[in-house]
Amino acid sequence: MTSLPVPRRPRSWPRVAAVVAVIAAITAVTVTPALGGIRVDLGAIARNWHYGAHHLAQMAQLDFSILPRTAKPLLETLEMAVVGAAVAAALALPLSLWAARPTNPGPSRRAVRAVLNVVRSVPDLVYATLLVAMVGVGALPGVLTLVLFDLGVVVKLVSEAIDSADSSYMEAGHAAGGTQTQINRLTAAPQAWPAYGSQVLYSLELNVRISAVLGLVGAGGIGRLIDEVRGFYRYGALAVIILEILVVVIAIEVASNVLRKRLR
Amino acid sequence: MTATLPATTRVVAAPARPSRLPVRAAQLVAGAVVLAALVHLRIGWSDLAALPGALGHYLVLMFAHPNWAKLPYALQQTWVSVQMAWVGALLGVVVSTILGIPAAQGVSPLWVRLPLRGLFAVLRAVPEVIIAIVILTVTGLTPFTGALALTIGGIGTHGKWTYETIEAVPTGTAEAVRAAGGSLLEVARWGLWPAAAPELMSLALYRFEINVRTSAILGLIGVGGVGDLLTGYTQYRQWDAVGVLVIVVVVVTMLIDAASGAIRRRIMGGARTRVVDRTV
Repeated sequence: MTSLPVPRRPRSWPRVAAVVAVIAAITAVTVTPALGGIRVDLGAIARNWHYGAHHLAQMAQLDFSILPRTAKPLLETLEMAVVGAAVAAALALPLSLWAARPTNPGPSRRAVRAVLNVVRSVPDLVYATLLVAMVGVGALPGVLTLVLFDLGVVVKLVSEAIDSADSSYMEAGHAAGGTQTQINRLTAAPQAWPAYGSQVLYSLELNVRISAVLGLVGAGGIGRLIDEVRGFYRYGALAVIILEILVVVIAIEVASNVLRKRLR
Repeated sequence: MTATLPATTRVVAAPARPSRLPVRAAQLVAGAVVLAALVHLRIGWSDLAALPGALGHYLVLMFAHPNWAKLPYALQQTWVSVQMAWVGALLGVVVSTILGIPAAQGVSPLWVRLPLRGLFAVLRAVPEVIIAIVILTVTGLTPFTGALALTIGGIGTHGKWTYETIEAVPTGTAEAVRAAGGSLLEVARWGLWPAAAPELMSLALYRFEINVRTSAILGLIGVGGVGDLLTGYTQYRQWDAVGVLVIVVVVVTMLIDAASGAIRRRIMGGARTRVVDRTV
């Protein structure tokens, strides 16, 4: 019985070492103040940790007297989230069909994608800050922020779902002599429906989270109350508001998970 | 062709269409909720009508003549934001890996898993801005505070992704290592790590991408970086400077996304693709 030579083990350590070296180098640059890096001040943590602990202890003493006042702003937050998601959903369906290759073979696809890439790369609170300065304090800049944010997310994921969808139905539509619009409406849209519904629900979840802080910059909702109790150092009340947001976020998440399971 | 099919003698009745009633009802309820929310929000129609004009006006102010003299300062502050994002991602990924592995089913008992998962859920619900507000009493209004806020805020989502990834690893290899007499450490090294590593590394890079966006937000409370500048210039209504900042933020974010995305595709290359429904 002849023994076969065992192949040599592939050498992976040079690559691992290179990756580790690159990560270490970037980290070293980012934490060296002399190179413009940020100052990692562990001494401050050692000296001042009790301030943070004190605040956490204050937060642990829940102040439920704030609860009646949270009802209206919380409702406004939820309404902003719903309206933002609905408007974004209405705009996202045509834009997704426009941004996907099978449903829009023409060159205008790239333009839509480029615009949406730009839209997606601006953080939500930056939109809120700018829009509050532009259209004034209130729910309107908040809703607009959510619409812009949701559009970026939903159109990207739905158009990718259309891109990777089973193309045979659309080919059948072409073979039967359908126009692009007919094909999109009768084959692509039904196929994209589950992905679309699931993403819209997901954007609703995100909206509830985001709209909780939009008020910090004046864009309506419960964030305004957060800003207020923080200004008065009412940390017990702050904790109650955070817990309330937590309950709402989890409730929406559970509901949306149930609905999304039905969609698949 | 105009030939028609020969008329069949017997027509088989088509099966009844499935009832659309539940779907219609759901659509109706959803529509009613949206309508009620819209009405109750009381967004003034006059505001809405003036909106396109106002947006156009400010877009012209921002981008018609950007104040390029602010560019060096903007880039410098953006670099601070990116550093916050990097340090926050690194610390966050390390901590969430340490906490996320015991939170996975099959790794540790329920009384370890539940508290950890509860912790992740709570941290997910608390916005980074609030975390930063608590931390800044310890480390002051410094970029380090921003990095720590990103770290702690990131643990919520990243810890969840970590245990979900580990739970999604097929159990066969781990069982084989255990059957061959491997210890817990060896099971982790040879059974779990090779299968989970690409996904975990890809998620770590994704965490950095998210942090780049969030770090710009953290500047709003004054921990430094490009968000600081943005708030300042917006409040003083120096729109030409705001325009430069927005351009810098968009370009830097897109460049980082592109680079990080290319690396992630390389890491996951050859691996199965799946619909990732987690985006922030």
